Amino acid sequence: MPRGWWTRRSNYFWYIVREFTSLPLALWLLWFLLEIRRAQDGPSGYHPHSSLGFVIFSVIVLLFALYHSVTFLSLAGAILHFNVADRPIPSQLIVLSQFAAWAAASVVVGFVLIYFAR
Amino acid sequence: MNAELPLSHTVGEGQGEGRHRHKPAIAHLFWWFMFAQGGVLAAILLPVHILIQGILGPLGIVPVVDRHYDTWANVLGNPLVKLYLLVLIAFPFFHFAHRLRYLLVDLGVPAARGVPAQIVFYGGAVAVTLGTIYILLTTVPISFG
Amino acid sequence: MTATKRITIKATRFDPDKDEKPRLQTYEIPFSDDSMVVLDALNYIKGHVDGSLSYRWSCRMGICGSCGMMVDGVPKLTCNAFLRDHWPRPITVEPLNNFPVIRDLVIDMDDFMHKLKAIKPWVIRKQPVPLGGGAFVQTTAQIDEFRQFSQCINCMLCYAACPVYGLNNEFLGPAAIALARRYNVDSRDEGLGQRLPVLADAEGVWECSFVGECSVVCPKGVDPAKAIQQTKLDTTMRFVLPFGNRD
Ligand code: SF4
Ligand code: FES
Repeated sequence: MPRGWWTRRSNYFWYIVREFTSLPLALWLLWFLLEIRRAQDGPSGYHPHSSLGFVIFSVIVLLFALYHSVTFLSLAGAILHFNVADRPIPSQLIVLSQFAAWAAASVVVGFVLIYFAR
Repeated sequence: MNAELPLSHTVGEGQGEGRHRHKPAIAHLFWWFMFAQGGVLAAILLPVHILIQGILGPLGIVPVVDRHYDTWANVLGNPLVKLYLLVLIAFPFFHFAHRLRYLLVDLGVPAARGVPAQIVFYGGAVAVTLGTIYILLTTVPISFG
Repeated sequence: MTATKRITIKATRFDPDKDEKPRLQTYEIPFSDDSMVVLDALNYIKGHVDGSLSYRWSCRMGICGSCGMMVDGVPKLTCNAFLRDHWPRPITVEPLNNFPVIRDLVIDMDDFMHKLKAIKPWVIRKQPVPLGGGAFVQTTAQIDEFRQFSQCINCMLCYAACPVYGLNNEFLGPAAIALARRYNVDSRDEGLGQRLPVLADAEGVWECSFVGECSVVCPKGVDPAKAIQQTKLDTTMRFVLPFGNRD
């Protein structure tokens, strides 16, 4: 197997991108852990992150996160199989329900993050 | 009688079958399970956190809990929030550890397949989990208010 | 009167007695008929240009699974790869990726044969039913469970497309796992316990990282990638669920 095998076909390339999404996501979560830790600094010492560099970093991570979500949920949906009354549920329906769960979770989390800021 | 002997070589264990011992790989099963769970959680929870806490909040477009000490500390004290944050941070790291290990294999580092690499990567995820528990327990005391 | 079109075929040549490593040889042949496939081109070369060119084929109709080769870098059945999709560009024909080359376009398929045998691709019964014991009755729903996986023609295109197999030949691989699943989900079969040690081995399903290219190249729509992930899921559930069946 030549080292650059994954550059030879676009499917291979996008597979590697899919695996790579872990790295930016992991870095962002480590930052998030720091954000939690900074609450220890007390009311006067607490300065939340707001540099432009951080926002740009988050935008890039968000692109990877969306790619992870779309690929993971569609692939997971395609392999799950349930039977109802001896008939398999069409996999499009399972994928759709995964995306619905994603949307619902996003709305709930977004609501909590914004509502409790007041 | 003798004529049957050669025939006996054509049944049963063939070449290749005995090349490696087949033992059920329970460890692989467990790490794959964690990988799958972490992948689902990362997929449905991370984008909204990144969007709101990483982009909209810092830009001041919407108010967000972590922008002010009072609201952030208030939320962090809630035990349910602590539990949620543990799940949100720890589980995806098992997903990341698994994927990054396989990514290394794909990029031509066969050593990433071995047990030492497994210890490093999955051990790393365990370390992040323990670190998260420590931070969550020590940063803001649990309050039910 | 127009002259017949011509097409350039670059085919791998390798004679283990003479050559150090495989090389490409260029042939220019008439492209007389729009229905010509790559296999026709190879047959033309063998019949009219160079009788020593070696390759496998038999049925010419996508059934026997013996004519798989890399066509412009993509594993394909050459009897199902039309010249018209490539003309006027030249076509490169190489032996299947990830297998040792024996001669020209012929690969050594022993490894795949061993793997196929290891998963016992036949219906296993704990108690053999005597011939007079009546028929196995299956509903259409039970047949639908495994029907797609049973379409495999053992062409090995999926192995040629699989980087995981390319990186580690010990990996059981797409078709073998798809065929194992074909029998595991067959309502007549009772051999799961015998196949599981091979499937759930470290070099079995766990090695797969779901590149998914096997399912893209499969000429029979088998979807081995799905079979592998479902096997991972089922195997995990057997251990995770408290009353999982662990026979
Ligand atoms: S699964 Fe498809 S590509 Fe693989 S050997 Fe069978 S028919 Fe060929
Ligand atoms: S010659 Fe039989 S499948 Fe192509």
